[in-house]
Amino acid sequence: MSNLDLIIMSFRNLLRRRTRSILAIIGVVVGSSSIIVMLSLGFGLSANFQQQIESYGNLHIIDVMGGGGYGGPVAMTSSKDGGMGGASSLDDLTVAQIAKIDGVETTSPVIQEYLKLIIGKYVSSSNVMGIENKMLEKLGYELQSGRALTADDKYALLFGNQIPPTFYNPKKTLYSSWGGAAQVDVLTDKIILTGDMAYGEKNVPQEPGVAIDYKMYKAKGVGILSNPNDESAYNVYMNIDTLKIIKADLKKARKETATGKQTYDLVKVYVSDIKKVEKVSQAIRDMGFQTSSLNDWLKSMQDTAKMMQGILGGIGAISLLVAALGITNTMIMSIYERTKEIGIMKVIGANLPDIKNLFLLEAGLIGFIGGVFGIIFSFIISLLMNTVLKGIMDTVLGGMGGSGSTISLIPWWLVLASLGFSTSIGIIAGYYPARRAMRMSALESLRNE
Amino acid sequence: MGDERVIALDSVNLDIFKGEVVCLLGVSGSGKSTFLNMMAGLEKPTKGEVLIGGVAVHTLTEEQVTLFRQKNIGFIFQAYHLLPMLTALENVSLPLIFQGVSKHKRELNAKKMLEIVGLKGYEKRRPSRMSGGQQQRVGIARAIVGNPKIIFADEPTGNLDSHTSQDVLDLIIHMVREKRQTLIIVTHDREIAKFADKVVTLQDGNIVHIKTKEEYNQHENA
Ligand SMILES: Nc1ncnc2c1ncn2[C@@H]1O[C@H](COP(=O)(O)OP(=O)(O)OP(=O)(O)O)[C@@H](O)[C@H]1O
Ligand SMILES: [Mg+2]
Repeated sequence: MSNLDLIIMSFRNLLRRRTRSILAIIGVVVGSSSIIVMLSLGFGLSANFQQQIESYGNLHIIDVMGGGGYGGPVAMTSSKDGGMGGASSLDDLTVAQIAKIDGVETTSPVIQEYLKLIIGKYVSSSNVMGIENKMLEKLGYELQSGRALTADDKYALLFGNQIPPTFYNPKKTLYSSWGGAAQVDVLTDKIILTGDMAYGEKNVPQEPGVAIDYKMYKAKGVGILSNPNDESAYNVYMNIDTLKIIKADLKKARKETATGKQTYDLVKVYVSDIKKVEKVSQAIRDMGFQTSSLNDWLKSMQDTAKMMQGILGGIGAISLLVAALGITNTMIMSIYERTKEIGIMKVIGANLPDIKNLFLLEAGLIGFIGGVFGIIFSFIISLLMNTVLKGIMDTVLGGMGGSGSTISLIPWWLVLASLGFSTSIGIIAGYYPARRAMRMSALESLRNE
Repeated sequence: MGDERVIALDSVNLDIFKGEVVCLLGVSGSGKSTFLNMMAGLEKPTKGEVLIGGVAVHTLTEEQVTLFRQKNIGFIFQAYHLLPMLTALENVSLPLIFQGVSKHKRELNAKKMLEIVGLKGYEKRRPSRMSGGQQQRVGIARAIVGNPKIIFADEPTGNLDSHTSQDVLDLIIHMVREKRQTLIIVTHDREIAKFADKVVTLQDGNIVHIKTKEEYNQHENA
């Protein structure tokens, strides 16, 4: 019996018992679409996590800190030997070593200093970060206005989004406040930098006899970054070599002993392949440093997403199992009903494997057709979730950004996998009835009425 | 029910030659159907053997015996046993489908077969819309379409009125003779026996006598 004839005959048998076939198919539709939808929720969650984390910063970046207590702007210290406390410091040698690790594309040391920025009557105390230009480019910060730093810039400042509003008049108000409108234009007004944190403040107790002579540096603002959420928002960036000079001056003014060797607060590492971030982080930790990257977060969030997906998928799988029982039941019923027919076919020359295949195929077809409609149904549900349900959630959460861009996400491979899965389920469910049909005695079957 | 031992056939010994028409006679319950089914490999003897053209049918596995039937044996049933959801043409084509004959070729053959049994124009009819005689003609066409060497018929006219019976029987005998096929036919109808080369009479599972056509006709006429 040719394969085509087998398929045609199975199909016709399905059509013959239309209602029952449709009921069995609906079982598969419900089963397979509940698996797809459940899994799609997990994928949506996972994608949202990634999107959310990417909005916080750059997944390619690893922050490397010395063994001691520095916690970066995003403080997530993940070091097994975190207690070693300053045993290892970040210097040029370390930077060179890190640059050699497989997967590392660019490195940059970072130094920071808390400085006073002065524009006329207004002041702001901000964290100024000195960083190499090539790394600043890799960080991919987008500009809201002005331009980025260039290699030639010396006393040029690139402002984080939240810095301009922090300028305040110390004669009028006591503190600066985040948010609100900026009272200065950092791009056009003249800016003066100083290490004297007491500058302009009224009631600062002067330590007797220790009058420090702070230098004043003329600077100018060149650009403002656009992201209000990530770590860049609360920093002011400038050329690292210029900041080194300012730092050295400050040390001299404060009469601190210079260690001679230049050390850094932080080293930023750029890994082009996100998959290698975890490995590079481990290698750096093995060198005795602490690392933090958004990837650490992402991984644990994605683990959570996977676990939820497992639970949801399990619930879906149960309904497909029920559908499989439905198929088995349908096929057994069908065999009872067609006992005589099977007998006739056997007597007039049907091969036993043909009989088996006929029933297997019929069950497989139920699974396949159910799978196809299950996919269509899932896409409809998924679409509804991403439009209607999302609309409701956004309204309820009041635009707090509680839900991401998609709730349900169906990757293309899931479509193929679910189709294969539901077809296999059908065939497996049909196996017992098919074998039974094959083994029935031809003569007994013929006598059946 | 199943524990009771029934001896349906006891000592039967029969040679059938190629191209012979053999008629099995006997009262109800004498073992005619059992004998026929056994020869066709549908039932296995508890003792003894069935040889068809040198093949020991009783030793074949279920799968082998089906294949053997597909290649060598055609069946005509008392209750026609057509598949209700298939048309006349499809019913006749069925054995060819199982043999893997191409669609074009099998439809051609089946059509020709239907024409031979006098059912031209009935190709698309379903069994539920045909008379008993028409259904049995489809059954005959189906039994013969694959050109089997042996045809078994168990009371093929049992459900038909006497006039139709005669037509159907004439058709069977005519076709079998033309193709030199072997026919083994069970019947209550003594008239049919006149066409047979051999008439075998069964009683309580035993062969009481085997008569040639001449002997039988002499006996009938006497
Ligand atoms: N499935 C069966 N199980 C047990 N005994 C059976 C079965 N079929 C038939 N018999 C018995 O075997 C014997 C022969 O039956 P068989 O059907 O061969 O008779 P028959 O000559 O074909 O009768 P009829 O002319 O009524 O068809 C009978 O005694 C019957 O009771
Ligand atoms: Mg009988």
